[in-house]
Amino acid sequence: MSNANVGGVYDHIIQEVINAVRVDFEENGVDDGVLEELKKGWQHKLSQLNVAQFPWDPKPEPTPAAPPLASANVPQPAAAAAAAPAPPAASTYTQSTLSPPTHGQPLSLPAGRNQNSNGVKSDPRIVKNEPVIKQEPGLNGGPAPALHPGYSAASAPPRPGMAAQRAALALESQYGERAAASISAIHSGMAMELNQGGQQQPQQIQQQHPQQQQQQHLQQHLQQQHHVQQQQQHVQHQQHPQQHPQQQQFQQGPRPGQVPQQMTQQQYRQGIASQQQLQAQQRLQAQQAQAQQAQAQQQLRPPNGLPAAQVDGAGDAYDGVLMWRGADGRPVEMGRVEIDNLLHAQMAARAKQMEGGGLMLPLKQATKVRSVASKKRSAGGAQMDGGDDDLKEEELDNDAINSDLDDSEDPNDDDEDDDESMGHMMLCMYDKVQRVKNKWKCTLKDGVLTVNGREYVFHKATGEYEW
Amino acid sequence: MATNSTNNFYDLYRHGSLGMTLTDALDDLIGAERIDPQLAMKVLTQFDRIVAEALAEKVKSRLTFKGSLDTYRFCDEVWTFLIKNVTFKMDNGSHTVQADKVKIVSCSAKRTDDK
Repeated sequence: MSNANVGGVYDHIIQEVINAVRVDFEENGVDDGVLEELKKGWQHKLSQLNVAQFPWDPKPEPTPAAPPLASANVPQPAAAAAAAPAPPAASTYTQSTLSPPTHGQPLSLPAGRNQNSNGVKSDPRIVKNEPVIKQEPGLNGGPAPALHPGYSAASAPPRPGMAAQRAALALESQYGERAAASISAIHSGMAMELNQGGQQQPQQIQQQHPQQQQQQHLQQHLQQQHHVQQQQQHVQHQQHPQQHPQQQQFQQGPRPGQVPQQMTQQQYRQGIASQQQLQAQQRLQAQQAQAQQAQAQQQLRPPNGLPAAQVDGAGDAYDGVLMWRGADGRPVEMGRVEIDNLLHAQMAARAKQMEGGGLMLPLKQATKVRSVASKKRSAGGAQMDGGDDDLKEEELDNDAINSDLDDSEDPNDDDEDDDESMGHMMLCMYDKVQRVKNKWKCTLKDGVLTVNGREYVFHKATGEYEW
Repeated sequence: MATNSTNNFYDLYRHGSLGMTLTDALDDLIGAERIDPQLAMKVLTQFDRIVAEALAEKVKSRLTFKGSLDTYRFCDEVWTFLIKNVTFKMDNGSHTVQADKVKIVSCSAKRTDDK
């Protein structure tokens, strides 16, 4: 079996190369340890490929390397199937040490006996030590079937809320009902964490606090300025409906209607702010100038109700608007929508004006114009360049016409890549390559063949195939 | 072409698993600045020679294979075959291996001696 030879031949090659290069290493003043490292790295990488069973031992020297070579030449199905490189001491021993990690033997505590029954003939003490050590990783790193319920998923990729869940479990198991409060706190925290999938949530978490503070400020402000309790009640009236939906959003995650609503509010507020200035607003607007736009939105929110009063006009309009809203309750939204419509109409009108000026063309028209222009340009360019480009294209075409291979050229390239990555490859020398019609015969020699993840070496090979 | 300029041996086998792993290991050392790239090249040229010699001297096994030739190419004295549905028979047919496709890259056996 050629595959059995591979380990020995490769080992021989590695030995030879390392020995041959030693002089070069010394001449370059490179430490001998580096050479050893190179060999280790080489052997390790080769073992990882798992193309054959390699007989290298920790320190393979020409003379001790001989026995493993001999043992490798004997067919060993089980040992050949094992993944790791086998220590060359004794073949039976390698089988027993290799099998626990790969096959995950039934985990029984009397490991020594188990191993002994596998046919290890050497000193039981030595053997006993080894398998016990080998088996423990199998116990712990293996399936580990839910010994610790909270801990079982430790190796799984971390999910949001995972840690919190585990913490809650632990609390519950330790303290029972006494910990109910903190557990629920953890759960609510988890809900928040999970809800943060939407982009708006973090924003709102941040913004709500300033907003609430702002509202309180405003309340005090109004109180001081106007000393009208009734009015303040109205303000509170307005604020509560605003606050509640916001908190709901905060807990439920983004709602579909949220963004448009904010947009309209924003437009509305901007419009109002630019159009009208009220005494009560001046303070807020000064802040608005300083703050960022997002924050400015929220800061403006408290007086949201107030500006609605300004639709009616003058500065004394606080009472009127508030009254109006208080009476109708809901119509707050109506007023906003109306103003919003008005603003939208204005914007549309402006856009139309610009469009009329030719600045904003509908997308289709604009692209048409451009593409026509570029076509003209490219046509002219090609003619300016002269015939060279065209000639080249024709040559390429000519090449493509006469060959059947051309069709499959690109796929072939892919295949080749695949082959190299897959390792279905034979590297060899050829003595003869003959062809009679579509029948090919070739004589190859000194080859290395990699097929189905196995490696083979051959001295001579003959191949017959039809095209 | 496939021959190395400094000696008469092909660097063909560098593309096999043995050569690739050696190249990887050398790359690691170069990356860690343990060795010069020139030294690595010397190692590889030694490798070219030793692999060729080892395959010629150490290996006695024979191999026959059949299949349908998909693509053939002969360029710079190098044959490249892409064979599909291949059956390899090792050691007088005692052991067979099947593969969907195999790429064969083969350099002239004579050229080593000529040059």
